[in-house]
Amino acid sequence: MKLKKYLFPSVFLVLLILLLFQSCYSVRLASVNGTPNPAAPMVRDDYYRAVEVTELDTVITIGLENKDFTYLIKVTDLCPSGKLHTVEYRNTFGALLLSAVTFGRKRKVKIKYVCMK
Amino acid sequence: MAKTTKLTLSEWDTLHNNGPFPLKILYKTKLESPAVMPSDLDRYNDAAQEIQKLLTEAKNKNEGFRAYGSAWSMSSIAHQKDRMHFNAHMNTYFSFRDQDLHHLSSYSAENLFLFECGNVVKEISEKLAGHGKSLKASGASNGQTVAGCISTGVHGSAINFGSVQDYVVGLNLVIGPNPGDIVYLERHTKPALNDAFVQKLRSRVIRNDGLFNAALVGLGSFGFIHGVVLEAQNLFLLKRYVKELDKDKAIELAEKQDFKAFKGIPEEVKSNGEANIPYHYKVFINQYKDNGKYVAEFMYKKPYKLNYPDPFPVIKKSLYRDLVNLAVQIGSRVPASIPVFINALKSSILPKTDEVSIGTLAETFWDAPYQGPAFAISFGVDHTNAGKALKVLSKVSIDEGPVPGIFAMRFIKKSQATLSFARFPTTCMIEIDGVLWNEKKKLGTLKGLSKKMIAALQQNNIAFTIHWGKNADWKFSGLVDHMYGPDAKTWRKYRCSLLSDDMQDLFSNGFLKEVKLDKKEPSDPQLLQSLL
Repeated sequence: MKLKKYLFPSVFLVLLILLLFQSCYSVRLASVNGTPNPAAPMVRDDYYRAVEVTELDTVITIGLENKDFTYLIKVTDLCPSGKLHTVEYRNTFGALLLSAVTFGRKRKVKIKYVCMK
Repeated sequence: MAKTTKLTLSEWDTLHNNGPFPLKILYKTKLESPAVMPSDLDRYNDAAQEIQKLLTEAKNKNEGFRAYGSAWSMSSIAHQKDRMHFNAHMNTYFSFRDQDLHHLSSYSAENLFLFECGNVVKEISEKLAGHGKSLKASGASNGQTVAGCISTGVHGSAINFGSVQDYVVGLNLVIGPNPGDIVYLERHTKPALNDAFVQKLRSRVIRNDGLFNAALVGLGSFGFIHGVVLEAQNLFLLKRYVKELDKDKAIELAEKQDFKAFKGIPEEVKSNGEANIPYHYKVFINQYKDNGKYVAEFMYKKPYKLNYPDPFPVIKKSLYRDLVNLAVQIGSRVPASIPVFINALKSSILPKTDEVSIGTLAETFWDAPYQGPAFAISFGVDHTNAGKALKVLSKVSIDEGPVPGIFAMRFIKKSQATLSFARFPTTCMIEIDGVLWNEKKKLGTLKGLSKKMIAALQQNNIAFTIHWGKNADWKFSGLVDHMYGPDAKTWRKYRCSLLSDDMQDLFSNGFLKEVKLDKKEPSDPQLLQSLL
């Protein structure tokens, strides 16, 4: 009887955890054309080893008067052209939750991007 | 002015993690902004001055200096323990007009382009496409810089053409820090640019076949390659087929190159019964499975047209090395499991049979993102020895391994470059590519494997060369003399005649010493004569 009492919440908890894991994912978009900005020296050991990658992990706040938000890619040392070659964005349950509880005013942005050479 | 960033480092590594190697200083030069210096020619010449300044710095410290681009070589050819120069941001280019050409030039001005050293194959292809042109050949991918390609002999499998250096018609080298130390080399039998244009590059011209051919595959040791004049051709398409062939048929095609009689691709058989000759032929060999079949890749040249089917759904499925990586991690504990894993993963490692795609050269030999530490050993043999050499090498890989990689064969025409590994009328490049393994585990060493392979080819009297940019036991006794005979000395004589004594040392490195090509020869002014 005791077992039955705890079975449902336990299964629910496991399903919830599984759902949480599934809600974390990355999507990468890359241009077919264009040459990515190369890295020297090469210090990473992941997909971005050969290129200069910018990692952005921040929360943006959207004012009530704004419908949406545009993050500008500007010319920097890591992005000499100011033009995008690859963008990888990561979605997490926490980010979804943050947006939900703030009615979309706060949005977690976790992206990696590589610019054109 | 071009801007150079100077980084103090302790080590440097290749893209494929074949190091790390010790290093003191890394230079990175960027061209002046076009907003400040709008003329491409001014920015190019300004960069040459900047390089001369860096050479002065290295010379004053009695240290070595070596340029590199994408660090794709797996050997230590690009490494210099003192100072290295990353030149991938030096990437301007020029096209030519008829009035820039030598009056005896047989080239068409519209096909000639000067690319600065740091242009990678992909950006060259895109710049050429803007003129309706294409490279004649490339490697299997597109990330190498043009200077890196020719210094190491990057090749594809263009059976009736050669390697990247074989469409280079002029070299602009910075050979020292002094005025007069910028030279432009081309063949006297095939001149390209006239003196007036060469003067715009602030260079002195030397038209001399012997010198040009020696400098062409210069192993990064013939000075700083600042610019490369290459001959392009009109854009074309490549139709790619993947077929499973009987082993004997695949080897027969490799050894006889009689593609006219090959009827395995009905679409490429003409109405008179003769088949078209492919542009490219490559054979994949899984040495761990003998089912009597090999997977072969054929590509046929087609006229360029718009609106051909999208090639990327097929092209983007390249090696899934992550899977092989996992196999190696497990396999290094239980080496016997490697063949099992490679067989299990063959559908991910080999191209899919009966796959067909069509695209430009640039689309077909497209991006190869980093997929973890890798190795490659690549031997060149005469194509008539392809079957014999493959048997010898695959036996070594099984006896000494199992090695986490598979073999492939590609084919290239003989190059005129003195130290090109494409030395045979048609050179078959037999390569084993795979994932670097932990040498501390139960598998043997990569160098040990290469040593056994070299010895096995020698024992079987198979003449061979080795790809300069791939892994090998480069210290193998008498290796370069065995491969190149008197051509090795010829190369050294031209190098020692072109470079001053201190610049010979400055442009040398550990790799050159290992292969004994750093040996000094008496300078001979006759070798530097401009013969036109």
